[in-house]
Amino acid sequence: MLNGATALFTWTLRMDARYVHPHVVRATFALFILFCLSMAALDAFGTNRTGLVFFGLVCQLNVLLIAAAGVSYFVTAVSEEKDAGTFALLQLAGLTPLAITLGKSTSRLVSSLMLLVSQIPFTFLAVTLGGIRWQQVLAAWVCLAAWMILVANMALLCSARCNNSARAAGAAGIILLLWFGTPPTIRTILNAIAPGTLSPEVRQTLSRLPQLLELVSPSKQIDLILNRWEVAEVFGAQFWFSLLLAVGCFTVSTLRLNAWTRPTEDGATGQEQGGKRRWPVGRCWRLPLVWRDFHFFAGGQTLFATRWFLWLVVYIAFLGLQKIELDSWRWILVGNFAMQMLLLLAGALTLECVLLATGSLHSELRQMTHSSLAMLPLSSTRMFLEKSAGCALSVLPSAVWLATVSLLSRSSLVGRIDGNLVLTWVLLLVFSTHVAALLSLYTRWAAFPLTLLASFVAFFVIAGPILLIPSAVGMLARTHNIQNSLPLAWAITIFWTWVLLLLPIQLWIRERWIVLLRK
Amino acid sequence: MLQFDRDTVPAISVSRLSHAFRGHLALNDVTFCVMPQTLHGFVGPNGAGKTTTLKVICTLLRQGRGEVEVFGSNVRTDPAAVRRRIGYMPDHFSMYRQMTVTEYLDFFAAAYGLPLQRRDQVISDVLTLTDMDGRRDDLISGLSRGMQQRVSLARVLVHDPDLLLLDEPASGLDPRARIELMEILRELRRLGKTVLISSHILSELSELCDSVTILDRGQVRFSGPMNLLLDVPGEQPLWNLRLLQPYPQAAEQLRSLPAIAEVTEPEFTNGQDFVLRLAEGTSGNDLLRALAPLDLPIASVARQRRHLNDAFMDLTTRGVR
Repeated sequence: MLNGATALFTWTLRMDARYVHPHVVRATFALFILFCLSMAALDAFGTNRTGLVFFGLVCQLNVLLIAAAGVSYFVTAVSEEKDAGTFALLQLAGLTPLAITLGKSTSRLVSSLMLLVSQIPFTFLAVTLGGIRWQQVLAAWVCLAAWMILVANMALLCSARCNNSARAAGAAGIILLLWFGTPPTIRTILNAIAPGTLSPEVRQTLSRLPQLLELVSPSKQIDLILNRWEVAEVFGAQFWFSLLLAVGCFTVSTLRLNAWTRPTEDGATGQEQGGKRRWPVGRCWRLPLVWRDFHFFAGGQTLFATRWFLWLVVYIAFLGLQKIELDSWRWILVGNFAMQMLLLLAGALTLECVLLATGSLHSELRQMTHSSLAMLPLSSTRMFLEKSAGCALSVLPSAVWLATVSLLSRSSLVGRIDGNLVLTWVLLLVFSTHVAALLSLYTRWAAFPLTLLASFVAFFVIAGPILLIPSAVGMLARTHNIQNSLPLAWAITIFWTWVLLLLPIQLWIRERWIVLLRK
Repeated sequence: MLQFDRDTVPAISVSRLSHAFRGHLALNDVTFCVMPQTLHGFVGPNGAGKTTTLKVICTLLRQGRGEVEVFGSNVRTDPAAVRRRIGYMPDHFSMYRQMTVTEYLDFFAAAYGLPLQRRDQVISDVLTLTDMDGRRDDLISGLSRGMQQRVSLARVLVHDPDLLLLDEPASGLDPRARIELMEILRELRRLGKTVLISSHILSELSELCDSVTILDRGQVRFSGPMNLLLDVPGEQPLWNLRLLQPYPQAAEQLRSLPAIAEVTEPEFTNGQDFVLRLAEGTSGNDLLRALAPLDLPIASVARQRRHLNDAFMDLTTRGVR
C-alpha cells in the first residue's frame, strides 16, 4: 500500500516540479506580495503600522485564494480520475483507497503548503515595516495552514463523493458558501427580529450556531491575531478544530471511496446517468455554438430556470427581512436592503461569469473537440463570440434581476452608486472574464484562483484610470459647454479600455488557441 | 491497377512536404498523391509522421516547406476552400459525450450552415449509412467504442465532403466493429468519396485500399498502387497453381513447358498445389496459353503476392538500428 501511495505522491510532486505553470503560479504570488507591499505603503503612509496593513492584506487574500483553490484545484484530486475513466485502473493496480487519497490529495496539499511557505520570508518584511510582531506573523501562517488543510480535505470529500469534477466543484462551492454565509445571515435575521418574537432559548441556540461555525473561521482568527494579539492563541480552537474536521473528512473519504465509486450495473457512470435526466434541448439554433454552450456547458434550461427561481426566493427573503425591520410590507427593497441585494447580485454575477469563462474554452480542450471545431467553416473570432453569447445567455437571470432591483430601488441607490462606478464594475467584469478565458488555456486548475488574484490587483490598477477618464472628459466638456457629456465619456472609456486592455488579451487568446490546435 | 487520365486533378497532392517540431524533423520531403474516388492507405510505425501529414492536409497545421493541394486548392493559401471539401476524423475520440447522437449531428450540420429542413434528411442519411439509425436518441457517452467511431464517421459526412481523412479509425475496435467499419468505407468509395485512411491494421488495408503510402521516420518509403507493393520483388514473379484433384504426372508436364523455369511442390499439399517460377521474359498470359493444351484439372492460377505486413516490415525496418 505504501509503495503505491509513495509512487503516486512522488509522481505528482515530480510533475508539479517539471511543469512551468506551477512555477508561474508561485512567481505570480511573489509579484502579488510586491503589489500588496506597495498598497500597504501607500495606505499607511506617514504612520508606523505599514507592516500590519501589508500583512493583513496578504492574509485576507490568502484566505480567499485557499477557498478558491478548494473549488478548483483540491476538488479534482480524485474526480479527475473518474472524469478520465482511469479510477478503475488505479484500483486494478492494487492501490487501496488510503493510497489513492494519500497519493492524489496529500501531494496537492503539500504542493500548496509550499506555496504558503514560499511567502513567509517576504511577509517577515511586515515586522521591519512596523505595527506587527514576528510571533503574530507566524501565528497567522499557522492559521492559514490549518485553513488550507481543512479546505483540501473538505474538497477531497466532495471529490470522492461526486461522480465528476463539475459536481464536486459545485458541492465544494456550496459548502464554502454556507460556511461563510451562514453566520452573518443568522446574525442579520436575529438582529432584524424584534425582541420577544422568539423565545430566549431559541434565540440563544440560534446565536450559538454562528459562534460554532466561526470556531474554524480563518478570518476571525486572523482578525484576532492582528488586532487583539493579547487574547489570541497560536494553536487555538481554530487550529485544532480545523485539523479535527480535516481528519474527519479524510477518514470518511478513504473509508467510503470504494463504495462511492462502485460501478453501476449497466456500466454507465454517474455523468451518463445524469445526462439522461436532462430536459430535451430541441433543434440546434442558427448559431450552433450558442446552443451548444448554453445547453451542454452552462447548465441549459434546468440551471436557467433554477437561477430565476433562486433569485426570486432570495428577493422574497430580503422582502421578509425588510418587513420585520420596517414593520410594513413593501414590494420594493429600500435602504440597506436594496444595497445588499444589489451587491449580492453583482457578486454572484461576477463569480458566474468568471467560472463560465474558465470553463468554456477549457471544456473543448478537455473533450478534445477543439480540432473538430477548427474544421468548421467558422472563424475563431465568431467561435469565441458565439461561445461567449451562450454563456451570457445562461447568466441572463442574474443580470435581469440585477437590472430589475437597480430600477425598482433606484431611489434608495442614488447617492450610493453612480454611473461611473457601474461602468468600472462592468469593465472589470469583462476584463476578469477575458483573463479567466486566457488562463484556462494554460492551466487546468489554477485559472479560477489566478483570475481572482489578477482581478484583485487589476481593481487597484485599472479602476483609477477608468474612473479618471469620465471625470476628465466631463471637465473638458464643461469648459467647452458641451451638454450631456456622460455618454461621450463612457464611450471614450469603453473604447480605450478595449484598445489598451481587452484587445491584447483577445489576440493572445486567439494565438494560444491556434497553438493548442497545432499541438 | 487503377488508371487515370493525365488531366485528372488529384484529390490530394503532397509535394516535398517538410515539417519540424522544435528542431526535430517530423516530415522530410514527403511526396505522394491520392487520386479521386479511391481508398488510399497511409501506413507507418508510431511517430512516422502520419498524423502530422494529415493535420497539414486538413489545414490544422501550417507546413514548414513544400506544397499541399486538395482538389487543386492550396492548403496554405485557400484553407477555407479545402475545409469545405474535406471531413477529418482525428485519432482520438473528440465528441460531446453529453449529447445524443442526433443532437451531435444536428450541431455539426447547423455549424456547416445546412438549413433546418435539410438537416433532418442529411442526419437520417448518414445514420443509415453508418447503420446507427436505431441509436439516434442514445447518449453518446452510453455508446460502445465502435458505435462512437461510427458516430464520428457520420459527423464527418454531414456536410457531404469529397475527401475523408481518417486517422486510425479502427484503433481500439473489436474485430466485428473493424469489419463493419471497413464495409462502410467500401460503401463510401462506391458513393464516389475519396478516403485517406491511416491505420495499423495492415491485413484489412491490403484488401480495402487501391493505393498505399508507407511513411517511416518522416520519409515516404513507398507510394503507389497496392498491387505494385504486394508483388514479390526481384527475379521473375511466382505463380500458384491448384488442381481440382491430385494428378500424378502434373509436375512432369509442368516442367516440360518452356514458359516455366522451376516447379516446386509445397509440403503437405498432396500433389494438388504447385509453385511456378516463370522463365525469363514470360508473362502471365504466356503461362495461361502454355497451360491450356495440357490435360490438367486446373482449379486456379494466381500470381503469388506478399502480405502487406511483409512489405511493411521490409520497407520500414531499414531505418531501425
